[in-house]
Amino acid sequence: MAGSVVRYLAFVGVGFQSVLRYRASFFVSVATTATTTAVVVFLWRAVYQHPSHPAPGGFTLPTITTYLLVAQLLIRLHDNRVDSEFANDIMTGNIAVALARPARYPLMRFCLAVPVIVADLLLVALPVLALFAWLFPLRWPGAADLALFAVAAACSVVLAFAVNLITGMHAIVTTNTWGVTLLKTTVVGLFSGGLVPTDAMPAPLAHAAALLPFRSMIDTPVRLFLGRYDTTADALRLLAHQALWTAGTVLLCALLWRRLVVRIGVLRG
Amino acid sequence: MIRAEALTKEFRQHDVKPGLLGGLGALFRREHRLVRAVDGVTFTVPAGAKVAYIGPNGSGKSTTIKMLTGVVTPTSGRCTVGGLEPYRHRRRNARRIGVVFGQRSQLWWDLSVPDALRILQRIYEVPDPVYRRNLALFRELLDLDALGTTRVGELSLGQRMRAEIAASLLHDPAVVFWDEPTIGLDLAFKRAVHELLNRANRELGTTVLLTSHDLNDIAAICDSTVILSGGRVVHEGSLRALLDRAAHRYTIFGHAGTLGTAETIRTVEEALPGVTATAADEGRIRLRYDVARWSSREVLATLLTRFEVTDCYAPEPDLQDVLGELYAGGTPDDARAVRT
Amino acid sequence: MNRAATAPATLHGLLYYAGLTWFLCRVSLRRLVTYRADFLLGAIGFVVRTGVQCLLIGIVFNWVPTLDGWTRDEVLFLFGFALLPRGLDRLFTDWLWFVAGRLVYTGEFDRYLVRPLRPLYSIVAERFLWPDGAAELIVGISLVGYAGHRLDVPLWSAGTLVVAPLCVLCGALIYASVKLLCASLAFWVLISHPTMHAANQVAEFAGFPVGLYPAPFQWVLTWVLPFAFTATVPVAYLLSGEPGQLVWLPVVTAGAVAVALAAWTRGLAAYRSTGN
Repeated sequence: MAGSVVRYLAFVGVGFQSVLRYRASFFVSVATTATTTAVVVFLWRAVYQHPSHPAPGGFTLPTITTYLLVAQLLIRLHDNRVDSEFANDIMTGNIAVALARPARYPLMRFCLAVPVIVADLLLVALPVLALFAWLFPLRWPGAADLALFAVAAACSVVLAFAVNLITGMHAIVTTNTWGVTLLKTTVVGLFSGGLVPTDAMPAPLAHAAALLPFRSMIDTPVRLFLGRYDTTADALRLLAHQALWTAGTVLLCALLWRRLVVRIGVLRG
Repeated sequence: MIRAEALTKEFRQHDVKPGLLGGLGALFRREHRLVRAVDGVTFTVPAGAKVAYIGPNGSGKSTTIKMLTGVVTPTSGRCTVGGLEPYRHRRRNARRIGVVFGQRSQLWWDLSVPDALRILQRIYEVPDPVYRRNLALFRELLDLDALGTTRVGELSLGQRMRAEIAASLLHDPAVVFWDEPTIGLDLAFKRAVHELLNRANRELGTTVLLTSHDLNDIAAICDSTVILSGGRVVHEGSLRALLDRAAHRYTIFGHAGTLGTAETIRTVEEALPGVTATAADEGRIRLRYDVARWSSREVLATLLTRFEVTDCYAPEPDLQDVLGELYAGGTPDDARAVRT
Repeated sequence: MNRAATAPATLHGLLYYAGLTWFLCRVSLRRLVTYRADFLLGAIGFVVRTGVQCLLIGIVFNWVPTLDGWTRDEVLFLFGFALLPRGLDRLFTDWLWFVAGRLVYTGEFDRYLVRPLRPLYSIVAERFLWPDGAAELIVGISLVGYAGHRLDVPLWSAGTLVVAPLCVLCGALIYASVKLLCASLAFWVLISHPTMHAANQVAEFAGFPVGLYPAPFQWVLTWVLPFAFTATVPVAYLLSGEPGQLVWLPVVTAGAVAVALAAWTRGLAAYRSTGN
């Protein structure tokens, strides 16, 4: 048992080394994330400039700015390129080599992704957060909300990883990874509340979002960050809801993975 | 046709110190050292010649070819191909040359071979009769039809190389630069490739500059050699002259006497001190001797007087051996003086 | 060489490249048909993405009637128009992404230098008619048609028919120049893909009126990475009939092209052909 933990920790170490080798790209990544965030933030801030003083979904100007910012940073952490790399492994046949190794492929992928996520958090998300905090008034959470957010954010990373892995499985059918990941990013971006807070969505859209797992990726953690819940029980229910969706998606991912392994075995004869 | 005069290419090699600090430091100040990949190379290839450009890994072969094809510009010195400096008149030069860089495809990875050839016909403005003639030749010798309409990206290395070779000869180039053209090819196709190039040379007067790790390619195609080591030319001349530089030669013989193999070896080594004798197949004995010490005549005379020789032959010196000696510092010149 | 001799040579060159382009486009069309499933998937991905962005515009206008003085239909018109130069550029020059990401780094760029073509042409000619660009153009034209009809923009007037395509062409040249500049960086740093990606992200700003952004941003989008000239400036003219900054469009386009070509030329000279 201890041996296998050490083995997976080794993957984390390898991941860190390769992340640091491309550290120059983090400067660019900060710029990219800041730009994407700025487009949404400025669009919504323009809404608040209107003389009729609208307050979509009950958000004030600082809270909507905070919402969009934190949402975009979470999206950055979720985008760990696992989907396209996994798809590439399937297309090039590297997956067969990986299967021959004495490590579970999905778990290995996760270990390789962890350092990327941590580096993105420290070198991209925090600098962008600091930049926007300097530019705009934000709404900062209390210690309790911050703790709740940390748990929810960690959970959302696992959920996003599972979604990415499921997305990557498309490669068994088609080679157009670009199209599929674009489709995923768009659908997830909309229904997770990354572009529009679910509270500000038109009713039919909000209903649809409530039925899908993606809301747990963005809306739930940001809601906790902003303290947009009534009672402590309410907050815990949000977390439980998210944990349930995460467990379900990971389970689905595991099931699909098993079928995929069988299918690859068949394909390779 | 090809002329290199004191051709030199230096590269800056950046040394990035390991670790985060080193990497950050490299953002502001880059330390580098100059590496001279090609160092004052001079040679000429007359029109219609077939020259092997040989050297160990890292000797500057590929860099020279990149200068001759106009991909990179020399640091100093110059080279011309048909009177043009390739890096100055890149497009005019490109029209007259055919290139195979074995490691790198010249084709379109997501198109089929027939599509690629049709595009190349357009690019090089190959007249229809020439295109048809060459295509028929390639289909016959390289069996292009077997590649079908598979995308180049999905071909095996050997299949791709057949397409690369066809692509490089499609426009009847005046000069052909082939860098490792037969990797991945089986023996039959290697022969076909040799035949194709020799035919182009015979019928169209195509000049050839070839590098290959497969010395059979060189023996089958080339009539002269330029040998490079450490970025410098260490030998230029005919293949024959190169083989004559061998420091060691071989003789293999069989005899009808009653002596066993071990005794024969001992007898030979006593009669010819310094000669190594080993058992070859079917009871024959293989002699390896230093040309500085023994002439073929002396060796043969000794064998004929001591044994009842039933069969005897002296194979060509091994090209690999000769090259190995050259790379190691060249054959000693006195060795050639002693030879008879 | 005297002038009389160069003129026919240039004409021959133009005809040569035009004929080759036509031929390569036909090859690409066949390629599209062969891989139509891939093409459809890409197109669907793109249409859904654009649909979601339009939905976002719709939702925003649920809360306010105008945004910085622009109505919903005007913003949709702008958003659709912004897709046109982008799509036109993408239709022809997306192979530059590979220069930035891989070709220089691995040395595969060599193959474009041993063909008897201008290297820039050789690169983009690797593949014409990118399906994603076609999808972008179709969606853009539909949006412009829909919103333009509702806004009573004189889409079929002679003025629009002349000016709009010219604006789209200039916009596409601006996009191509930014891409070419980013790709050229690869000759020095080997991989410039992240920079290109960042510049591409900045282009997202162009889909909305630049008036939404703070003044320094507007200035950057107008004069540094001049994406404002690909959509906001021409659309302001098409909607109001007043030229405004549009007179600068040819100058800005020429400037962008000149800078990009200069970087490309210098980069080519610095190409080291690394790899084996």
